[in-house]
Amino acid sequence: MFRKIVEAIRGIKLWARFTLEVFQLFLKKGVDRNAFVSQMYEVGSRSLPITIVAGVFVGAILAIQINLQLKDFGAQSFLGGLSTSTTLRNLGPVLIAFILAGRVGAFTSAELGTMAITDQLNAIRCLGMNPLSVIVVPRLLALIVSSFLLLILGLAMTVLGGAVIAAYHLGVNPVNFATNIPRFVSFGSVFLGVVKSFIFGVMIGSISCYFGYSTSGGASEVGKAVKSTSVVTLISIIVMDFLVSVTGESLSRLLQEVASL
Amino acid sequence: MISSAGRIAIKSGEVVLEPMEMLLRSVLSIFNGLATGKLRIKEIVSQMFESAVLSLPVIVFSLTVVSMMSVLEFSWHMKVVLRQDALVPGFSFVLMVREVAPVVTSMLLASRMGASIAAELAFMKITDQLDQLKVLSVSEIDYLVVPRWFGCVFATVVLTLISLATAVIVSAGIASRFMGYQPSEFFNSMFVFTRGLDFWGGIGKALCFGTIIPLVSATKGFNCRGGSRGVGKAATDAVVQSCLWIIIADFILSYFIWTR
Repeated sequence: MFRKIVEAIRGIKLWARFTLEVFQLFLKKGVDRNAFVSQMYEVGSRSLPITIVAGVFVGAILAIQINLQLKDFGAQSFLGGLSTSTTLRNLGPVLIAFILAGRVGAFTSAELGTMAITDQLNAIRCLGMNPLSVIVVPRLLALIVSSFLLLILGLAMTVLGGAVIAAYHLGVNPVNFATNIPRFVSFGSVFLGVVKSFIFGVMIGSISCYFGYSTSGGASEVGKAVKSTSVVTLISIIVMDFLVSVTGESLSRLLQEVASL
Repeated sequence: MISSAGRIAIKSGEVVLEPMEMLLRSVLSIFNGLATGKLRIKEIVSQMFESAVLSLPVIVFSLTVVSMMSVLEFSWHMKVVLRQDALVPGFSFVLMVREVAPVVTSMLLASRMGASIAAELAFMKITDQLDQLKVLSVSEIDYLVVPRWFGCVFATVVLTLISLATAVIVSAGIASRFMGYQPSEFFNSMFVFTRGLDFWGGIGKALCFGTIIPLVSATKGFNCRGGSRGVGKAATDAVVQSCLWIIIADFILSYFIWTR
């Protein structure tokens, strides 16, 4: 148990060092634009359908659940605002990021891991180039940008999913649903969702690149890298969700106190 | 255009039908095993251990964080709507029982067990170990899939119960620390809205998700093609498709259990 905790802390240290190194390389040397665009296509546009499906269903599920709780109080007119607010602030980004972590993160770590164990990274070193700046920098940037954009799209889709299920099966008409949204969803909530999406994108990208890049050994190690990537990404998403929410809460409280002075 | 549409149709047909076929074959094999008394108990127990016990720390840790989150978020919303947070424990616990505990637990399990099942079976496939099983006339469904199925179902149900217990304890702690509840008062108001159907619905969801994970992953593992790259692809596909199936099944189950 104790050894595992020490190992985890060492892993976090190595991951942070790796991520900082990649960002420094990016700031110093920039990024190969062609590689960046092709990676964006590979991880971004290929994950589009899965994000849309996930977003619609997450929105629909939360609308059903919130509706059940509101129905007891006859407060169904609040449905649009409450379910959208819950989805945007908390559960929406987390659940969509779970799916993206599987799609995007595991894919990248499998690819980088295969490159590492078949000595393709060493081949790049032999050509006198730094594999970090040739392979990892465009991938990491593309992962961050595309997961951020995909998460935002997914969040927009949750509103659609909620509205559709509310209109067809819960008996709340779409106009009512939509006009209710601004009553509960403030700028702060949307901003919180966007910040969370960005941070989840950074976590998905950096963790999967780190695990893939540091793979060594045989073919079974690639499987292990994929497994630990998906587990660690999910846990880090949950922890980050909590940290961002708590920080946001205390920041908004601070702002209110400042405003009331 | 037409050819790509056809390709997409065939692909999605495969995605839906192949796990179904695996399900049918596994059910047949279980009946067969029950009839002949040849269920592989040793394998089943070791898979149960592998998937439930070894995932325990991860699940407990994550659910601790998730339930803290859920209480704090609900108190925020209740303050916006009702200007007080007296109903928070009841509401957050209902959402926990119905939705969050089964879904988050099974998604974590899907990423842990799904990836490992698919990687293991795909590795067996590309190293011809599956063909060796065939030579020994051992059915791969009997020997590999059914024990994993039992293991995953056991794991999802037991871990969902454990995560509910975690949620109760953690949210009581958070509420007494940050919202000025006495723990006893909190426990009383926690179960106001929760009914028997909510609990059984949550367990039923866990059962379904526990069936989805091993069957989808085993299908991906058996269909693995081409070297070590294929193993990575099988593991990735297993995680993604089981998570997606979990969300879709969750929608269908929520709709039919509670809305009808």
